Amino acid sequence: MANVAGPAKSETPTVVQATQPGMSEDWLALCIGLLVFVLSLGLLFGADLLGWAVTTSVWIDAAKALAPVSKSYAKLPVPVSVLATYGLLLIVLLIGARAMRANVKRFAIGVTAIFTLGYACWFLGNWAYVAATPNQRKAFGIDWSLNLTNESGFIIALLVGLIVGNFLPGVVQRFKDAIRPELYIKSAIVILGGFVGITALGQGRLASAMLFQGLCAIVCAYLIFWPIVYYVARRYFGFSREWAAPLASGISICGVSAAIATGSAIKARASVPVMVSSLVVIFSVVELLILPFAAQHYLYNQPMVAGSWMGLAVKTDGAAVASGAIADALVQAKAVAAAGVHFQPGWTLNVATTVKVFIDIFIGVWAFILAWVWSAKIERREGEKVRAIQIWQRFPKFILGYVATFLIVMALGALVPSLVPKIKASMGEANVFRGIFFVMTFFAIGAVSNFRRLWQEGIAKLAAVYLLCLFGYIIWVGLLISWLFFHGMLPPAVKG
Amino acid sequence: MPEPQLSDELRRMKAEYEPLLPIEKKLIWYTFGTGIVLLVALVVIGKFFV
Repeated sequence: MANVAGPAKSETPTVVQATQPGMSEDWLALCIGLLVFVLSLGLLFGADLLGWAVTTSVWIDAAKALAPVSKSYAKLPVPVSVLATYGLLLIVLLIGARAMRANVKRFAIGVTAIFTLGYACWFLGNWAYVAATPNQRKAFGIDWSLNLTNESGFIIALLVGLIVGNFLPGVVQRFKDAIRPELYIKSAIVILGGFVGITALGQGRLASAMLFQGLCAIVCAYLIFWPIVYYVARRYFGFSREWAAPLASGISICGVSAAIATGSAIKARASVPVMVSSLVVIFSVVELLILPFAAQHYLYNQPMVAGSWMGLAVKTDGAAVASGAIADALVQAKAVAAAGVHFQPGWTLNVATTVKVFIDIFIGVWAFILAWVWSAKIERREGEKVRAIQIWQRFPKFILGYVATFLIVMALGALVPSLVPKIKASMGEANVFRGIFFVMTFFAIGAVSNFRRLWQEGIAKLAAVYLLCLFGYIIWVGLLISWLFFHGMLPPAVKG
Repeated sequence: MPEPQLSDELRRMKAEYEPLLPIEKKLIWYTFGTGIVLLVALVVIGKFFV
C-alpha cells in the first residue's frame, strides 16, 4: 500500500497511531521480508539458517502437529523450535519498532500476544476435523471433516481478532502498538515474491501471461471502477468532492492507501480519508469471509479467475492476499472433490497477489492525476505545481522487495537450473514466516475492526455508498474483468 | 475549534449540494470511456497475441 506524505500516515486507521518521524511501515516491511528471504537462501551455500523454524501440519494427534521445517533439524525439540521462531520474529520486529520510534516495550507485549493467539488459531485450523479435505480423511482415520483446509486457521484468527476488537477494546488499546496488519502483510508479500518466482519457474509462459493479464485487468479496473463510484457518491448521495474522491478511491482501488493518497492529493482534511479507511477495513473483513467461499463454489474449475477476482474485489492488501490464500486452498479442495483435478497449489494466491501489487503500483500515478485535475482544473490553486516526485513519494516501497525476491529467484533458477531444488527448499523455509505473518495479519485485521465505534460516528451514509457500489457493482464487474482476462488460463495439474 | 460530527456534516452536505462541474463530468466519462475501450482492446490483444 502506498506510503503517503500527509497527515494520516497510519494505515491501521481504527487504532489511531501518532505520526512519528521514524522509518515507515513500507520500508520496514521491505527490510523484514528481505532479511527472511536472504537468510533462507543460506541453503544455496550449505548453511541451513532457518531450518529450525516451526511448521504445523494437518493433525489428528496434537503431539505430532508441530515440527522444525527442515529435516536437518528433525532432532530439535519442538518447544525449542517454537521459541526460536518466536524469538527471531520478536527481535526483528523490535528492531523495527525502534526504527519506527514506537514504544518498544509495549510493542513487545503486543507482538507476543498476537503471535501466541495467532499461532494458537493456526494450530486449531490445522486440526484434521477442520482442515482435512475428503481425499485426506482416510489417512487420518476420520469419517468427516469441515473440508476447510489448513488455511481455516486464518479465518479462526480473524474471528478471534474480531471478538477481541469488538468486545475487549481495553485489550486492543493495550496491544495497539503491535496491531499493524499492514506491516505484517507487507512483510509477507515481500517473502511471497520468492514463492511466486519458484512457482513460476518452469512455467514461464503461464507466468508471463499472468503478469500481462494482471496488468491489463488493473488498468481497466481503475478506469471503470473509479468514475462510477465517484459519480454515484456525488450525484445520488450528495457527497461533496472532498468526500467523494477518497471514497471512490477507497471503494474502487486499494482501500486504505488509495483513500489516504487521494485525500492527500486533493488536500482533503485528515479526518476524511481516515474515516473512509475505517470503512474499508470493515468491509474487507466482510468480503474476506464471503468471497473465497463463493469462489470455491463457482470458480473451482477456474483458479486463476478466482485469484484475480480476490485481488480486484477485496480491498486492502492484507485482506486481498489473505482471500487469495484461502481461495487457493478452498478452490483446490473443491477441484479435487468435484472434478478429481489436482491443480498445482499457489496459483490462485499468485494471481491475487500480482493483481494487488499492480493496483498498489498505480495508486501513486492515480493520485498524481487527481492532484493535477484538482489543482489545475477544479480548485485552480494559483502558483501550485504538481511535481512528478510525488509519484515516488506515494509509491508503496515494499513492492520493490516483492519484485526483487521474484526476480532473484527467477534469475537464479533460470541461470543455474541445478539450484532449483535448493531454491524450492529455501522458499519453503521462508514460507514458514510468511504463514506466521499472514496469521498475525488476520488477527490484527479483526482486532482493528471496531464496528460499534464506527456506527457511533455516524458512518451509515458512507457505508450505504460502500455497500451499494461494492456489492452492486465492483464485485460483479471485477468478476467480469477477471473472467475476460483469466478465463481458460489454468494452473498446471499435478499428481494427487 | 473541534471538527463537526460526521453525521452533522453529512446532513448539511445534502442541503448544500455541490453540483457536478463540467470538468468533473469530463473526468468521469472520459475515464470510464477510456476504461471500456482499453478493456476491449486488451482482451483482444490478450486472446490473440499473448
